[in-house]
Amino acid sequence: MIKTSASVKLENITKVFKDPAGKGEVTAVNNVNYDIKPGELITLLGPSGCGKTTTLRMIAGFEVPTGGKIIIGNEDVTQLPPNKRDTATVFQSYGLFPHMTVFENVAYGLKLRKVSKSEIEERVIKTLDMVGLKHLAHRSPSRLSGGQQQRVALARSIIVEPSVLLLDEPLSNLDALLREQMRVEIRRIQKSLGITAVYVTHDRVEAMSLSDRVVLMNAGKIIQTGTPSEIYESPDSKFVAGFIGKVAFLDAEVKEISDDFVTVKLQDKILKTHKFSSDVKTGEPAVIMCRPESMKVVEENKGHINGTVKTNVYLGNSVESFIDTEHGEILVQIDNPSQKKIYTEGAKVGIEIVPELSKVLRNN
Amino acid sequence: MFSKKKVYIYIFVLLIVVFLDFWIFSNIKSTFVKITNDNNKNIVTLIDTVHSETDYNKWVKDISAKYENLSIIYLNGVPGFDDLVTYAGSEESLEFYQENSESKDFQNGLEYASYSEIYKSQNKFIYDGKNIDLYFSPVYDENEDIIGVGIYLFDNSENESFFNLLNIFAVGIIIIFAVIMYISKFTRDPVMSYIILGLFIIVGIFVVYPLYEAVRLTFIKNGVFSLEIWKTILTTNQYMEAFWGSMKLGLMTATISTLVGFLFAFTLSRTTVKGKKFISTMATLPVISPPFSLTLSIILLFGNNGLITKQLLGMSNFSIYGLGGLTLVQTMGMFPIAYLTMVGVLQSIDSTLEDASLDLNASKSRTFFKVTLPLAAPGILSAWLLVFTNSLADFANPLILSGSYKVLSVEAYIEVTGMGRLGNGAALSLLLLLPTVTAFLIQRFWVSKKSFVTVTGKPSGRITELVSKPVKITLNTLIILIIVFLIGLYGTIIAGSFVKNWGIDYTFTLDNFREALQRGKEAIGDTVTLATVATPIAGILAMLTALVVVRKKFPGKRLMEILVMVPFAIPGTLIGISYILAFNKPPILIVGTAFIIVINYVIRELPVGVESGVAALRQIDPSIEEAASDLGADVPTVFRTIVLPLLRPAFISSLSYTFVRSMTAVSAVIFLISAKWYHITVLIYNFSENLRFGYASVLATTLIVIVLLAFGLMRLLVRDNKNLEKTIN
Ligand SMILES: Nc1ncnc2c1ncn2[C@@H]1O[C@H](COP(=O)(O)OP(=O)(O)OP(=O)(O)O)[C@@H](O)[C@H]1O
Ligand SMILES: [Mg+2]
Repeated sequence: MIKTSASVKLENITKVFKDPAGKGEVTAVNNVNYDIKPGELITLLGPSGCGKTTTLRMIAGFEVPTGGKIIIGNEDVTQLPPNKRDTATVFQSYGLFPHMTVFENVAYGLKLRKVSKSEIEERVIKTLDMVGLKHLAHRSPSRLSGGQQQRVALARSIIVEPSVLLLDEPLSNLDALLREQMRVEIRRIQKSLGITAVYVTHDRVEAMSLSDRVVLMNAGKIIQTGTPSEIYESPDSKFVAGFIGKVAFLDAEVKEISDDFVTVKLQDKILKTHKFSSDVKTGEPAVIMCRPESMKVVEENKGHINGTVKTNVYLGNSVESFIDTEHGEILVQIDNPSQKKIYTEGAKVGIEIVPELSKVLRNN
Repeated sequence: MFSKKKVYIYIFVLLIVVFLDFWIFSNIKSTFVKITNDNNKNIVTLIDTVHSETDYNKWVKDISAKYENLSIIYLNGVPGFDDLVTYAGSEESLEFYQENSESKDFQNGLEYASYSEIYKSQNKFIYDGKNIDLYFSPVYDENEDIIGVGIYLFDNSENESFFNLLNIFAVGIIIIFAVIMYISKFTRDPVMSYIILGLFIIVGIFVVYPLYEAVRLTFIKNGVFSLEIWKTILTTNQYMEAFWGSMKLGLMTATISTLVGFLFAFTLSRTTVKGKKFISTMATLPVISPPFSLTLSIILLFGNNGLITKQLLGMSNFSIYGLGGLTLVQTMGMFPIAYLTMVGVLQSIDSTLEDASLDLNASKSRTFFKVTLPLAAPGILSAWLLVFTNSLADFANPLILSGSYKVLSVEAYIEVTGMGRLGNGAALSLLLLLPTVTAFLIQRFWVSKKSFVTVTGKPSGRITELVSKPVKITLNTLIILIIVFLIGLYGTIIAGSFVKNWGIDYTFTLDNFREALQRGKEAIGDTVTLATVATPIAGILAMLTALVVVRKKFPGKRLMEILVMVPFAIPGTLIGISYILAFNKPPILIVGTAFIIVINYVIRELPVGVESGVAALRQIDPSIEEAASDLGADVPTVFRTIVLPLLRPAFISSLSYTFVRSMTAVSAVIFLISAKWYHITVLIYNFSENLRFGYASVLATTLIVIVLLAFGLMRLLVRDNKNLEKTIN
């Protein structure tokens, strides 16, 4: 069933919209460069309005870039209309054909490709089976649940064996539980078909759990790319760190930079953190990036900073402790709470920063 | 897209095509010129002998009379030897000779002739306002001696216009080629571009061009620019009388129709009354009643031999013809428009507003005048303007009921068909355009916006009774009277078709049916055929236009939206006149064919179809179509497999409207029919002109039946809409 999946290359892609209201212009996508390898699933992640959908729609061919090139496989498709591109899109609103049954919806692409009737029958059933909807083949899509509609949309796209599968927030209309299930399913199907996929989302958990690589966008530009762990553990900027997970920033001064470590001064305390690729310089103000899991709650004056416990939130396998400090409210995650001391609300405590898990960023 | 190589290839190919094109066309032209020259030379040699004793003056005149495009001047005597005596057929030719005799061409011509050779002038000469070819040839006597020189003036203006046509074709071919090649090479989605281009060509040829021709004609007299026609129109009493006549009729009809419409709308939306469904059906029925039907029954009831006026009341000097009768018949026909406009507005005014006012101890009448009426005001104004526009554009009713009262639409028709003054007819119908378009624009862009501001939203379920008992009884009585009258009118037409001789002999007969259907067989057949052909074309074109307008971005989109809507706003009379002006001459000569009627139907009904298509398409999530094209469907496939099925209700209703409106068309089509392609409505008109009211009633009844059938069929088809549940964005 699988044919060779294709690479996607975005070269200096820019998209400028005319403001529909006034005479102004909106630069939705600004000089984006990125290579997607065959068979890879990447997510476009970023806040609302950052140009994710626009980028995806340009790959699909629904929008023409104002500048730059899009190359799928070895073919420059920049000017090709959607029907001439070997891409298939799963829309946020599904875009199912309301006047056709589930079967007809899924068969639509094959009919256009003049596949024989018996083969259509066979492949549609097989694909519906893959998404677990074989028994609903002859229903009208309007009488399906959201999750089922979503699967029809997915089946309709993958049955034509596109070289690139494009998904625009496909799960945003589903409830949390269903979303988690579908996420796993999409990943499983994508992997088993070995299809190249671009997945748009503004949900970082979705991005982290799904993708081979994450492309983080903001205001029309790519600000960082990398595997989920690279992005999570070594963000380039405060924005990325903040967007990709819960984090606290503590003002500090860079004292010394060696091959492996960065030594910083946090008020009167000296910390030696691991050095990640980062452009901090000695003597400059910087911040220490502290994830909830890279800190510990200890006795007052025993840690690097002091504070007062505001609230504790029990989550079962962990407790999230919100602590008021002079740096603002800091969230510390306490794993295995049953084996640790939990300070009551109002208690004065210290916070210890685990240097190996923390990172120094330029304060910008 | 615009790579250098592509652009070079484009320019190169285009140059070659331009070269070939001109080469071919100049070949055609020179061949044609050669043929004419040979032909002319033949004529010259054919008549180069004359008896030496003939009366040369008479000879010259005879020849000029014999050949339509030839004038001849005869110079008696051999140039260089004798004194030449000039014989010209007319003053003008003599003048022409005297003016040009010193020119080089004339000198050469005479010299050649004296050597017994035929000479054709090299330069262009103009004679009698036309380009001519000039030949000089010796004239021989019966002994084959040269006795003089003939100067032959061949009028070649026919050739000129033929060459002009050729030039249009030559340039047209290049433009078409350039555009098509541009689209296929440089646009992203050629199919879409072709569709858009096609739509532009259609509205260009069938909307813009005829209107342009109509306007142009009113500024031309004897081939040159002139304001004469407009001067005549604006200063002649008869024409101005027609203008004010139309305005007066429009004001009266609009005002009374709005009152009646409001009566119905208010009663149905603000009071509790039994039989609402029946009342509203009756109040909308006239919208689809064929032209002439109401007029016809008014004449049968109140005419010179009217059942009521003559037989019942014994009046002998009463005349229904004129302003009064027209207002009555237009009001009966057009109050439904007002009703439909206002009932929507009244229904969407939240009646809690009225409740609030009543709670504050305002009286019911005070609440009505201070709350309900102001809120409904934009809707009322809108209704008034719509009826006004319709009354002005109305042609059928005044055509047989105006008597000596003058209105513009009929006056324009008489000018064109009766007097053959096309220019005046065009000017009069353009005059009609002024108030119509003004009213349309006010309605469209000002009032319709206002009404959105005042109306709060969803229809309210519960009604607060706003009228006291006596008022309610009055309202209901009025409504019953009007409905009874309306039923009476329709009954009269049906009765009229079964009566031997209305007004004289009321015996039952089926002869009318036999005779009218026999005589109307072909007209009915033509009408049904043409409407059936036009209907799917208009429907598909309308949905395609809606798709393009709603979903695609392209330069000139706004222009296209406006041009498509234009035929809705302009009176049919103007369309009819401009069509015969534009399409009765090359390059598009289609007057008298079925094609022009079909095209006219399509263009006139397009706006309504496009509107309903646009409204429906706005409700459909664009990602449905995107999904289809993403899966590999090109534009026509998306249209056929996705858009059309999704727009089915809009599509079917636009089909049935086109069919019905085509069947019942009259104002434009009356100019376009021919002996070969007749129209049932025009036949009804002819019958009633000849006082064959029985036959006319039969045809009107037939039309009513056809219309009802078409709408019934539409209802049936639209309701059968099981699995089409639109996803709304
Ligand atoms: N057709 C359009 N015309 C004008 N502006 C547009 C158009 N489409 C998108 N934009 C603008 O371009 C910017 C990027 O839009 P885009 O839809 O790509 O954002 P997004 O990242 O997908 O956001 P979200 O997460 O909210 O879906 C926005 O500012 C948006 O207003
Ligand atoms: Mg988006």
